[in-house]
Amino acid sequence: MQVSSLILNPGLSLLIRIQNIWKRFGEKQVLRGISFDVRDKETTVVLGRSGGGKSVLLKMIIGLVKPDSGSIEVDSKDVTKMNYKELRAMRFKFGFLFQGAALFDSMTVGENIALSLRRHTGWTEKEINESIEFALHIVGLDNVAEVMPSSLSGGMKKRVGLARAVALTPRYVLYDEPTTGLDMETADGINLLIKDMRTKLGITSIVVTHDIHSAFVVGDRFAVLENGTTLMTGTREEIQQSENEEVRKYINSSLPMTEGNRA
Amino acid sequence: MAETYTGNVQNHPLTFFAIIGERSSAFFEHLARYCSLMWWMLRNVHNAKEYSRNIYQQMVMIGNDSIPIVVFVSAFVGMVTAVQSAYQLYDWIPRAVVGSLVVKSVLLELTPLLTALVLAGKVGATITAELGTMRVTEQIDALEALAFDSISFLITPRVLSGMLMFPVLIIFGDLVAIIGGLIGSVAVANIPAEAFINGMKSSFETKDAIFGIIKANFFGFTITSVACYQGYYVEGGSEGVGKATMGTVVLTCLAVVVMDFILASILL
Ligand SMILES: Nc1ncnc2c1ncn2[C@@H]1O[C@H](COP(=O)(O)OP(=O)(O)OP(=O)(O)O)[C@@H](O)[C@H]1O
Ligand SMILES: [Mg+2]
Repeated sequence: MQVSSLILNPGLSLLIRIQNIWKRFGEKQVLRGISFDVRDKETTVVLGRSGGGKSVLLKMIIGLVKPDSGSIEVDSKDVTKMNYKELRAMRFKFGFLFQGAALFDSMTVGENIALSLRRHTGWTEKEINESIEFALHIVGLDNVAEVMPSSLSGGMKKRVGLARAVALTPRYVLYDEPTTGLDMETADGINLLIKDMRTKLGITSIVVTHDIHSAFVVGDRFAVLENGTTLMTGTREEIQQSENEEVRKYINSSLPMTEGNRA
Repeated sequence: MAETYTGNVQNHPLTFFAIIGERSSAFFEHLARYCSLMWWMLRNVHNAKEYSRNIYQQMVMIGNDSIPIVVFVSAFVGMVTAVQSAYQLYDWIPRAVVGSLVVKSVLLELTPLLTALVLAGKVGATITAELGTMRVTEQIDALEALAFDSISFLITPRVLSGMLMFPVLIIFGDLVAIIGGLIGSVAVANIPAEAFINGMKSSFETKDAIFGIIKANFFGFTITSVACYQGYYVEGGSEGVGKATMGTVVLTCLAVVVMDFILASILL
């Protein structure tokens, strides 16, 4: 299979390397030494408990949150040591889907997507409008460009957030719970989109999710976090066959979500 | 006993100073963060393409949308100044003095100060609530993630608009207040319009008006920048936004009266 050959290919470069990340907020030690690698053109799924620091970790990768210690290398440059100019140049390569979508509520859906297109491309208004339509279309939303975000449902906001994140076809996309709050059919559509982003466009992604079905559909490689540390990393097969009880708990706890039980 | 003593810090005589120390160190922390925010803004102010799109919108919000309340407040300020001046005058003082008093106090003090206090509520609270909501709903993070400089994008246009529009509003307010003074004099204090206008002309000095405008500029900067700071660094969800908004109104009102005194001492 194409996927496993990619994984087994030892010549692949590491693109994002997370090493021994520690972070505390006030009294609360959230991360206690997280390490894992994200490889070129692969989708890495991060599993972990609610409140385990997954969203914080994603934000650290684009330098929105600074770790107390540890390093995060993107294209062999340490994000934690970058100055603001370097950070901005690096962020340009990323698409980020926020857990709560984080749409700009003073702008229409179309303007939300157009904002970065206008700034970062030299496109004409016509080209921008076409890209907006296209980006909304691939997340399954049509005729919402003129609507204000406040009148969308949670799942629709999420999809607009996704359209905004991928509109510029970034090199990396970080998805924070892309399928949470979506119905099965739409969720499957999003899973397919994430898969396509990798296979057709060669985009490297990190997906944080609680939806184990989605995780196994999109993920090539997994990192399981527990108590602020990396419990296990491995390929899909390795995770599925893991004897580790804690890891099995994640997989089994989500059995009701698997394909067979859905109908 | 030693145990209870260390265990029960609340009764320790040093606690009072500890609290003051803690409060003042928090104050200096805020001050340092505020200054570095302003420094960042200033250093990137030449980069107008970051914020030019937003500046018009902010000028409308801060300037245009504040006109009704400024007109209302200024008109009444002018009228009440006229009526009270007339009331305080001895019979042998010429009535034209009312015109002088109104124009002096309106230009120098009343319109700039009262307008600023009203706008501290209206403009300051709006800005803090807006930016605070953007912070807690991760919209500021989203801007940064899209490779925008969120400070230049959000704060610079607001502060610049404040510095530009406050003087405009104050000039407008001055005009309305003087008309209000005239109306108050004629309608309530039975002073002929001619006398009022003569008094006004005799004591009008351009530098008074300019002083008021300089004050407006400072007030505009202070109100918008403090409001932006409060909103940009909100913590603690929507409750935090509420607290920060209230904090903005209190802080900016205090800052305005203190600054008013300092500027008067220096410039007059
Ligand atoms: N800016 C912050 N200030 C204080 N605490 C924070 C901040 N951001 C995150 N935390 C804390 O860090 C912990 C991890 O948060 P995070 O949102 O990363 O969890 P998560 O793994 O994404 O959870 P979920 O699966 O529910 O989204 C939480 O306890 C949260 O309260
Ligand atoms: Mg999260």
